[in-house]
Amino acid sequence: MKRKRLIWGLVAVVLLAALVGFDVLKQPGQKHEFEVAAEFELKPIITLPTIGPFDLSVNKAVIYLWLTAAILIVVAVLIRFTLKQKPGRLQVVVEALYGLAHDGIVGAVMKSGRATWFPYVAGVFFFVLTANLIGLVPLPLAEHGQFGFYTATANLYVTLTLAFCTFVFTHYAGIRKNGGLHYLKNWAPPSAPPVLKQLIWVIHAVSELFRLVSLAVRLFANMLAGHAILAVFFAMALIFQSYLAAAMLQGASVLIYMFEIFVAFIQAFIFAILSAVYIGGALDQEH
Amino acid sequence: MDAEAAKLLGAGIAMGVGALGPGIGLGMLLGKAYESIARQPEVSGDIRTSMFIGIGVTEAVALYAFVVALILIFVA
Repeated sequence: MKRKRLIWGLVAVVLLAALVGFDVLKQPGQKHEFEVAAEFELKPIITLPTIGPFDLSVNKAVIYLWLTAAILIVVAVLIRFTLKQKPGRLQVVVEALYGLAHDGIVGAVMKSGRATWFPYVAGVFFFVLTANLIGLVPLPLAEHGQFGFYTATANLYVTLTLAFCTFVFTHYAGIRKNGGLHYLKNWAPPSAPPVLKQLIWVIHAVSELFRLVSLAVRLFANMLAGHAILAVFFAMALIFQSYLAAAMLQGASVLIYMFEIFVAFIQAFIFAILSAVYIGGALDQEH
Repeated sequence: MDAEAAKLLGAGIAMGVGALGPGIGLGMLLGKAYESIARQPEVSGDIRTSMFIGIGVTEAVALYAFVVALILIFVA
């Protein structure tokens, strides 16, 4: 049993190294200039008309988002119709993530409204997790059909949309439970002196608005920085033009790839748990 | 000093100085978290959850500095 696990572990490491090397060698013989920013450029693949300010063309990020949604739907339907008492491997993983979302995220931080808001929080958790993880799989969507890495959540528009959903739901939940004016009035503690009360209200209003920005930028910058570091490490093996440096840097690339997987999980968890904290805070305003 | 050099210098200083605060903050946060786990190992699950939330929020401040550096290099 132990030897089998050792062999699987070695196979995994070798595959990871091959994955990493795949991206480094994606332009054999041509890589003199290495542009980190080239990985994050979005060119339209299918150009569709522009309606008002919305450009409907299909580009790399759109395809990755479709892929994320497709994977989530397929896995969910598959699990739903093949539920067993003695779970297979996929069911164990999905059950573990579901348990984490149900007890670790919603159960741990929301006092009221758990049943109402669990679908949204768990949905955001699974979506961000899948989108982050797909970004670590090289797909042939880089320019000229080469294999390349790209994360949909490394795009500020995508994360801003997700954060905007949380923002809208937070205030919707608060207004629906507490009444519009009462909800806004509660942003300043009732027992504060007059001028101080208005000041505290303004500060609280600005901090509520800033939550939208911080939620979006946290996910965006984490994914962007992670992928920029990955790109730099992958290319460093070629820049130094020596086999020893390439071998060592290949090992370092694999390590940092594993760290990026960890960061993908953590960022999805943090996005979901902060959404739950904000929605729960709007629901129980009398803390 | 021309504008291009000033932009790059500003980006370097932004990221460098901007990583000081969150670095210290993260160290303090983790130190307190480990201390409380050592005091009361039976609530280490709750402590770990709160620690991760704290790490996420603190790291975001360093990432704001990173975004400012990126804006200086690529947009401004």
